[in-house]
Amino acid sequence: MDKASLSDKTGAVLVIGGGIGGIQAALDLAESGYYVYLIEKSPAIGGMMAQLDKTFPTNDCSMCILSPKLVACGRHLNISIITNAEVRYIKGEAGNFQVTLVKKARYIDIDECTGCGECAKHCPVRAANSFDEGLSNRAAIYVKYPQAVPRAYAIDRDKCIGCGLCEKVCLAKAVVYSDREELQSINVGAIILSPGYGLPDAGLMYNYGYGKYPNVITSIEFERILSASGPYQGELSRPSNRDIPEKIAFIQCVGSRDSMHGKTYCSSVCCIYAIKEATVAKEHSPIPLDIAIFFMDMRTFGKGFEAYYDRAMNEYGVRFIRCRPSMIEEVPETKNLRIKYETEDGKLIKEEFDLVVLSIGLEPPKEAEELANRLGIELDKYGFCQTGNLLPVESSKPGIFVCGAFQGPKDIPETVMQASAAAASASASLSPVRNSLVKRKEYPPERDIRGEPPRIGVFVCHCGINISGVVNVPEVREYAVTLPNVAYAEDNLYACSQDTQERIKETIREHNLNRVVVVSCTPRTHEPLFQETIREAGLNRYLLEMANIRDQCSWVHKEYPEEATEKAKELVKMAVAKAKLIQPVAQTSLEVIHSGLVIGGGIAGMVAALNLAQQGFEVYLTEKREQLGGIARRIRHTLEGDDIQAYLQNLITRVSENPLIQVYTNADIIEASGYVGNFTTRIEAGANRDTHELKHGVVIIATGGEEYKPSEYLYGKDPRVLTLLELEDEVAKGNGRIADCDNVVIIQCVGSRESNRPYCSRVCCSESIKCALKLKEANAEMNIYVLYRDIRTYGFKEDYYQEARERGVLFVRYEADDKPRVETITEDNQNLLRVTVKDPILGEDLVIDTDILALGVATIPAADNKKLSQLFKVPLNEDGFLLEAHMKLRPVEFATEGVFMCGLAHNPKFIEETIAQAKAAASRACTILSKDVIEAGGLVSLVDENKCNGCGVCTLICPFQAIDIDTEKKVAMVNEVLCKGCGACVSSCICGAMNMKGFSNAQILAIINAS
Amino acid sequence: MGINKMQQPGQKVDGWKPRIIAFLCNWCSYAGADLAGVSRLQYPPNTRIIRVPCSSRISPLLILKSLQHGVDGVLVSGCRPGDCHYISGNYVARRKFAILNNLLEYLGIEKGRVHFAWVSAAEGKRFAELIKEITEEVRALGPAKELVKKQD
Amino acid sequence: MPDTSVMIRDTAKKLLVEKRVDLIIGFERGTLPLRSTPCFVRRSVEAEKLIWNASCENNLARYLRKRKEKVGIVAKGCDTRSIISLIKEKQVAREQVFIIGVPCHGMIDRRKIEAKLDGREILEADEVSEKVILKGHDFTEIVAKEEFLHNSCNTCNYRNPVIYDVLIGDKVEENRGIDEYGEVKEFEAQSADRRWQSFTNEVSKCIRCYACRNACPLCYCQECFVDSSQPRWIGKTTNLSDTSIFHIVRAFHTAGRCVDCGACDRACPMGIDIRKLTKKIEKDVKELFHYQAGVNLEDVPPLATFNLGDPQEFIK
Repeated sequence: MDKASLSDKTGAVLVIGGGIGGIQAALDLAESGYYVYLIEKSPAIGGMMAQLDKTFPTNDCSMCILSPKLVACGRHLNISIITNAEVRYIKGEAGNFQVTLVKKARYIDIDECTGCGECAKHCPVRAANSFDEGLSNRAAIYVKYPQAVPRAYAIDRDKCIGCGLCEKVCLAKAVVYSDREELQSINVGAIILSPGYGLPDAGLMYNYGYGKYPNVITSIEFERILSASGPYQGELSRPSNRDIPEKIAFIQCVGSRDSMHGKTYCSSVCCIYAIKEATVAKEHSPIPLDIAIFFMDMRTFGKGFEAYYDRAMNEYGVRFIRCRPSMIEEVPETKNLRIKYETEDGKLIKEEFDLVVLSIGLEPPKEAEELANRLGIELDKYGFCQTGNLLPVESSKPGIFVCGAFQGPKDIPETVMQASAAAASASASLSPVRNSLVKRKEYPPERDIRGEPPRIGVFVCHCGINISGVVNVPEVREYAVTLPNVAYAEDNLYACSQDTQERIKETIREHNLNRVVVVSCTPRTHEPLFQETIREAGLNRYLLEMANIRDQCSWVHKEYPEEATEKAKELVKMAVAKAKLIQPVAQTSLEVIHSGLVIGGGIAGMVAALNLAQQGFEVYLTEKREQLGGIARRIRHTLEGDDIQAYLQNLITRVSENPLIQVYTNADIIEASGYVGNFTTRIEAGANRDTHELKHGVVIIATGGEEYKPSEYLYGKDPRVLTLLELEDEVAKGNGRIADCDNVVIIQCVGSRESNRPYCSRVCCSESIKCALKLKEANAEMNIYVLYRDIRTYGFKEDYYQEARERGVLFVRYEADDKPRVETITEDNQNLLRVTVKDPILGEDLVIDTDILALGVATIPAADNKKLSQLFKVPLNEDGFLLEAHMKLRPVEFATEGVFMCGLAHNPKFIEETIAQAKAAASRACTILSKDVIEAGGLVSLVDENKCNGCGVCTLICPFQAIDIDTEKKVAMVNEVLCKGCGACVSSCICGAMNMKGFSNAQILAIINAS
Repeated sequence: MGINKMQQPGQKVDGWKPRIIAFLCNWCSYAGADLAGVSRLQYPPNTRIIRVPCSSRISPLLILKSLQHGVDGVLVSGCRPGDCHYISGNYVARRKFAILNNLLEYLGIEKGRVHFAWVSAAEGKRFAELIKEITEEVRALGPAKELVKKQD
Repeated sequence: MPDTSVMIRDTAKKLLVEKRVDLIIGFERGTLPLRSTPCFVRRSVEAEKLIWNASCENNLARYLRKRKEKVGIVAKGCDTRSIISLIKEKQVAREQVFIIGVPCHGMIDRRKIEAKLDGREILEADEVSEKVILKGHDFTEIVAKEEFLHNSCNTCNYRNPVIYDVLIGDKVEENRGIDEYGEVKEFEAQSADRRWQSFTNEVSKCIRCYACRNACPLCYCQECFVDSSQPRWIGKTTNLSDTSIFHIVRAFHTAGRCVDCGACDRACPMGIDIRKLTKKIEKDVKELFHYQAGVNLEDVPPLATFNLGDPQEFIK
């Protein structure tokens, strides 16, 4: 590429859709040196995840984990969030698109709105609250949800009666009735699509009575009912009469695996979310709750899902009934629901429930077609975004990438991985113009306040009337002046308004203030703003303290104005007491080594290495074997038909020829030291076991997985028994012996979903179907039996399952406690391989004398995982796979910063998933590599070496491996780069040697004493 | 309000109102308290919230110091298990609190002075109810006696 | 069977002569009857001073920290448990200590004997197997040792050293059928008011001399929180609230570390029942987290780790 074309590229990216996928992509890109426009069609980002109560399989609170990401996005200097917006049209091509956006009228000036909510309180209109799926009401002027970012109101023009009350009560003058739709043009180098998914109209499933019977609800409605911030404040009750239900039924596959309604694919997430909702409901319910889940195959294929399923069944006592009910009827008197279903052995049963939850599937977003037309991208037959199977985040148009459920149904971690992967792909295509459009802020030099006695300025906010309507603000201000070290106090209509910011800056200079206390709302949203303000006035940003007299005082003590005023004064006193003791906090920066180490030369490692190199960074790629390729060397093609060997050869060539990638084969990791940005790893490699010392800023562990070598079913004892990979190999070699077989049996779950290896290996069902279809291709007459427990062909792979059935492959289910029996017997001088399995429908034994028995064996973690987990201080889960920092939102990283993972080392997965995860790991790694320095410091722990005895409790406690014991001095040392400032070490330190900036013992004690 | 130095601990005083300190972790419980505010859920004005990064930051000594200072009740609240922003802070804290809680009871400090709770960022209503509940419990106990430092 | 003291001396001499250690920490005879005192032997000839009897109550682990040289230490069961705690807390390196383990039948609580003698002065005391012969101006009494053991010895389950490099003599039988936490349970069964009353009665005796702290092998903080000025945690007078907090926090600091050697109890000049607190914590640590301090080198200290399923019924 010549220089002229390089400069044509634009170092900005447009992300369409502000759900968790869009947020992750935006954060990755903004942290890697690109300017990001994040557009969202609704008034706030957050997407579907904001609506969820809990997340599987850990039952984490969804809002607790999402909210920090929302805030990070909202305050990022290089992310411009444009709400109520969509794309009108685009011009240009990859590297330089000109995009025209339409911004719908919001009727609220976001910059002026303080989110105080006075308007909604006065609005006379009640409209269905779509965030609660219509189960509650809101005003016509509304904020999408309490934690919304931006936290600004919007007017629903369809519902607004134009009475003008909101405009009258808004002291911030944020209501703009004259607001009109606007066009905005932006230039970007790449586009990432993350519009999420739509939900099917459950009313179409007419036999389930949704929309007709009030107690038949969808799973998303149930999610809102369970949510503590939902329509019933988390009280489990049913819509018809708010009674507490005693019996709940879940019906799976509503709008999925349903050819009648054209949704033949599996929505991948409903089994596991139903289990989540069932267990959460059991926990919420004040009375014993009977829950039945009606399902066809239980598809708990994700990491930790099988154990979750087990717990639901065995600990929570959720009933799992393998059946798709034919219909539901309401009992008119009680509004209960009667479900008719047939058990597997053919019995007809009618059972009554108080509430029925329809586990509805995921469908393409409603605007998919229009979006596709405007952008010129192709959709697949279902209306999801068309991607190549081995290019999982690339749309049909160069420069436009996709992530999340728009690419196909998927859960949050898969979405987050694809989002990072899409960011990595976009970044790789734009790396020459990295850092060309990002904003950097310049600040005046910091004033040295050493030796100065504290001179505190107090700014008390009225928040319109939000605070002053209850609290006597002038009285609080007058009280503040009387406090020791307070040099100045004033009150402001809105402390956060632009003009007050200027006033605060002037006042700091004029009164020579060296500490500032803002008495207003919550520091969780407003602290960064005021920190910024005082920094602009030349004060260190940590010389700020806040007292929250709105969210935690005036808003919650409306009936007690006098006591609220007293409380407000006391909160000011406490804040001032702390402010007296706060000190400037210095930040140091550490240089980053701009190269990465990738351990493992399979597809995962190579894709990650190649992406890092494409992003312009040097890479050391180590492979323990002689050749690159990993387990993929044994895979011929995917279920979808991609030629893996051709793909692999191409990948190896690109890796080998890339000048930025240094490949070491026969390589072992001997020793590792250092931390994020600055690792040193010693390896031995090559035929001569040469030692190399590698310096690198990040590590990606991609050590892969292995095929379990079974001891079951005569494997290794009879040559006719093969693993699936071995069968695939034989078929591909054109082994006539196989093509001529009359009978082939495949047994699933060999070594998986067992007590000693409880996880599901995820890929084996699809692998079996792949082999079965290949065999049918070679010999249509062949009898193929797949003996299975649940067929887990999730997503679009379901189509191949249907195809296999249509082509006559026989699927016979067996129970875990009644496994197929395999024996060799001699009959008529023939040595027969006999498989006997109990057919659950007929209740009789099915006996097959087979020519070949193939085993769907488990995928097991690489033996190296253990050693690497110790070397790089990262954890393994009980099954021996690497354990990520967070199951949902940090799927490729660890608590130990700078270390990432991808591929089978993380969990069994398909090649396309490995590719996405590898790119995701590269994307996360590049948020570090793209910086020249990383900032260290802030509110971190510090050691008083005179008090420390080096006992090491803190090193054990620290979740981030941020503390080490200095071997010379025998005292603890805090690595400020790694410390996240939780303070666990401070309270755990026996000798009182640990303390923490910003939350020191002395400071907290001062607050207590001032209370 | 401040500590009323004239008031002798242990005495029932007319118009006495309980004083409670609540240590809340920044990421979940403090957010839950904010949500109670955003949702305008009313609760008694007796509680003073002290924001800390994580429940694991709270040492037993800080709880004891609060009691010594003369507050009538203490609440320590962090993220629910699994939700901790710092991965495992609340688990580490939980062990310390278990020991402290037992020890305080053992020494005869009335149950109901020191409370521990998990409150998630979504539990605004729960937070408001928790404060109501604790306030009532502390009110029923009357002014703190044990551990309150009398002026020598 | 040779005398235990002789065996200790021989071992000490051998270790010093062979330069396997530079220092032996053991006991020598004290100036008063029924008393022994720690002694530090660097030359083999001095090893003759070493003794072993039922007055060797001190926990010598206290003298192990911050030594550069290699140390041989005479250690009872409880001492070895303290040594384990110190090793785990990186205060002592295992390879730096040579543990001369001595099985223990329990140590005599002088105060109990003095109480029995009702003020009569002991001029001489001799141990003969399970008995002690006490002689004064005008009396001779023979008492059974086991009736005058320290409280901590009565509930001890580790009479035999837990780790050692050499064991002096044969192992002894462990206490059987004792309820280690009997006193704690009794206390727990009282009403809250009674408990608070007893607690304040005990701590109000405290003169803040810190003898408990100084005797404890695990109270090795450079600066105790009571002495801290930044911040000043508690006042230094005998104000009841401050003193209570001192005792509560000191007890809490021993959680998962205290091996109930009884050193604090013995050291207290005011006879405060300090073990009432430490034993409770020890019990809870065992019941809640299945951890016992100083019984092996592997278990992670209970407050430095956690289990996902830890008890949390007390959390709302």
